[in-house]
Amino acid sequence: MQQNFKSSYNVHVVRILLTFVGMIIVGSLLRSLLLPSEFGDYGHYRPGAVTEEANREMRNKTNDSCLDCHYFVKKIHLKGVHEVVSCEVCHGAYSDHVKDGKVIGEMPVYRGEEIKSLCLRCHNKIIRARPPESIKMIAMPEHLEEKNVRTDHVCNQCHHVHAPYKWIKEAREMMGLPEKWEGGSSWKK
Amino acid sequence: MHEILATASGALGYVFPNDLHVHWSLMIVLYPYITGIVAGAFIVSSLYHVFHIKALKPLAKFSLLFAFAFLACATLPLMMHLGQPGRAMSMFLTPNPSSAMAGFGYIYTAYAFVLALEIFFIYRVHLVKRRQETTGWQHAMYTVFSMASDNLSERSLKLDRKIISFLAAIGIPMACVLHGYVGFIFGGVKANPLWATPLMPVIFLLSACVSGIAGIIVAYFLLRKIAGKSIDMDCVRTSIKFLWGFFIVDFTFEMLEIFSHGYMATAHWHTLHELLWGPLFNSYWVWQVMILSVIPFLLLGYVSIRKVSDSLLRIIAPVASVMILLQVLLMRWNVVIGGQLMSKSQRGSVDFQPHWFEKEGIFLSMVIMVLPIIILYVMGKVFPFWHDDNQSEV
Ligand code: HEC
Ligand code: HEC
Ligand code: HEC
Ligand code: HEC
Repeated sequence: MQQNFKSSYNVHVVRILLTFVGMIIVGSLLRSLLLPSEFGDYGHYRPGAVTEEANREMRNKTNDSCLDCHYFVKKIHLKGVHEVVSCEVCHGAYSDHVKDGKVIGEMPVYRGEEIKSLCLRCHNKIIRARPPESIKMIAMPEHLEEKNVRTDHVCNQCHHVHAPYKWIKEAREMMGLPEKWEGGSSWKK
Repeated sequence: MHEILATASGALGYVFPNDLHVHWSLMIVLYPYITGIVAGAFIVSSLYHVFHIKALKPLAKFSLLFAFAFLACATLPLMMHLGQPGRAMSMFLTPNPSSAMAGFGYIYTAYAFVLALEIFFIYRVHLVKRRQETTGWQHAMYTVFSMASDNLSERSLKLDRKIISFLAAIGIPMACVLHGYVGFIFGGVKANPLWATPLMPVIFLLSACVSGIAGIIVAYFLLRKIAGKSIDMDCVRTSIKFLWGFFIVDFTFEMLEIFSHGYMATAHWHTLHELLWGPLFNSYWVWQVMILSVIPFLLLGYVSIRKVSDSLLRIIAPVASVMILLQVLLMRWNVVIGGQLMSKSQRGSVDFQPHWFEKEGIFLSMVIMVLPIIILYVMGKVFPFWHDDNQSEV
């Protein structure tokens, strides 16, 4: 049966190819419209993005920025071994607490049993999270058994959280125990 | 801070704080699963179109539509997973050839074109005829689909056939790359001892073929049953043989991978060992290996070697296929989730419990798995699944 067709035998293929060409043209047009003009000036990125990121408000700050206001903590913290530890590790980000020099939110403060797990995040001998040369580690409950106390003691019953040796040193002096510390008037070792 | 401590209670041993949360969750389990089904289903159609396995003719067209329906949803889980899905388009705007992740965008798009074109050419005769029969918006739709051509001459059809074999032929390596790529993206994470093996693309590809064939068999049984049509047992027998063949290789590789890890016993083996015999013991050894691999393996072997009756095959074929579909899903789970359960500390692991209604939860996963079936149903209105649906052949 010989039929007469209006379209030629390969017109659909040609049209598909044309569609592809059209898509490529539309695609490149869209690209030139959407692409930020300075893209690629220095590499595969938009240079403006770097400034934008750099200008983001910082969430975390230094210990000094906390100590500007927390004079009481300053007197203790800077004299103790935890001087090197960041306040924000144990409390929270500056930006959640202070904005433009004004207090905008409360800082979380660990209490009671929570303090134990906080200290053990860095000081746990069992998990050996860090090399012992940089941070001394203890095992619980051995640490308390050595001291002949009940094992439900919480760390801050003997250690001042901001200067861990403060009370221990004071207690030794009071009891006239041999001076084992070298730090002079500080509460470091 | 408090949250971290709370989640840490679900952890065993020592886990770094940044390992507590399983970031690649259900969505990333579904992503290789769906892509795998696409690649596998395409293989079925190629077996007919390229390798001329005549017995598979009843499935040749359907498997293409099946592949396409799943392909349409393959990027959904990724989009759901991203915090900023809109940015996915940036990979076309500012293509970066050295980005391994963006690679999927390019491979996927290229493959989608090939698949769509192949479907279009295979159904052209049907589309042209429907265009003449219909009016109104349907006519407009068929006009677009048939590229406003009415030429069905022998010369034109010959050209179509040439193009179809070409598309089907380049489609095979592309389907392999599509899914091999997914394995590569996991295999390339060198920090993760469960993933970092060059065998990963191979295993992913083979399990993809397996899940695709199994998916087709299950869908074939279901849809024919629902439509009240007969089931071509010769075709089922052949696809079961292929399923078994691919599954032998797939399962062997899966086991070989574990055994070579174990035999080499490199630095990471103890972590892997603790993982596979610890939190993954049930989902890996009991379910994936013992129940969902060994049983279908024996079932498929039995029906492939022995001459079983049609009525027995009618039961075993769908049952074994469903089991294999689950096996592959579990394999994705064990690889994707399992790999994240061990901490980089090498001293601990976390557990993972998906929730029903969260951003990447179980409910959304089910929606995403049902979506291709709805798409398939809608496509079926325009492109008839079966060659006995009263239409002429190409
Ligand atoms: C602008 C001064 C200022 C700065 C800077 C500041 N704080 Fe405060 N902070 C305060 C004041 C005032 C309060 C008491 C507010 C209250 O009780 O509601 C307070 C309360 C706190 C508390 C809670 C005390 C309690 O008993 O509940 C903590 C913890 C704390 N600050 C820690 C920090 C840390 C850590 C930083 C640095 C990241 C910091 N603060 C920086 C002014 C400051
Ligand atoms: C090792 C963890 C740690 C570090 C580092 C730390 N704090 Fe604290 N801080 C605590 C804990 C725990 C408490 C609660 C003490 C308690 O209940 O005995 C606390 C209490 C406080 C309080 C409230 C006092 C109170 O008892 O209500 C303030 C204010 C404070 N810290 C400020 C600071 C500032 C400022 C710094 C940095 C210079 C800092 N902290 C560093 C753990 C820490
Ligand atoms: C963020 C990690 C961190 C946390 C949390 C922490 N510490 Fe420390 N701690 C340190 C570091 C670092 C040092 C050592 C400082 C140095 O050697 O200069 C130290 C030193 C100490 C020391 C002295 C050990 C020595 O060198 O002899 C004691 C005692 C101590 N911490 C007790 C505590 C207690 C109690 C807590 C809970 C309130 C705590 N630490 C929480 C990091 C931490
Ligand atoms: C009963 C009081 C007491 C309690 C409670 C206590 N400590 Fe101590 N801790 C001491 C004393 C005293 C020292 C001084 C060094 C020594 O004698 O071991 C010390 C030393 C340390 C050291 C330094 C160890 C070293 O090798 O030099 C660390 C770290 C430490 N404590 C952490 C903790 C932590 C964390 C907790 C809570 C889980 C805690 N301590 C609870 C009394 C206590």
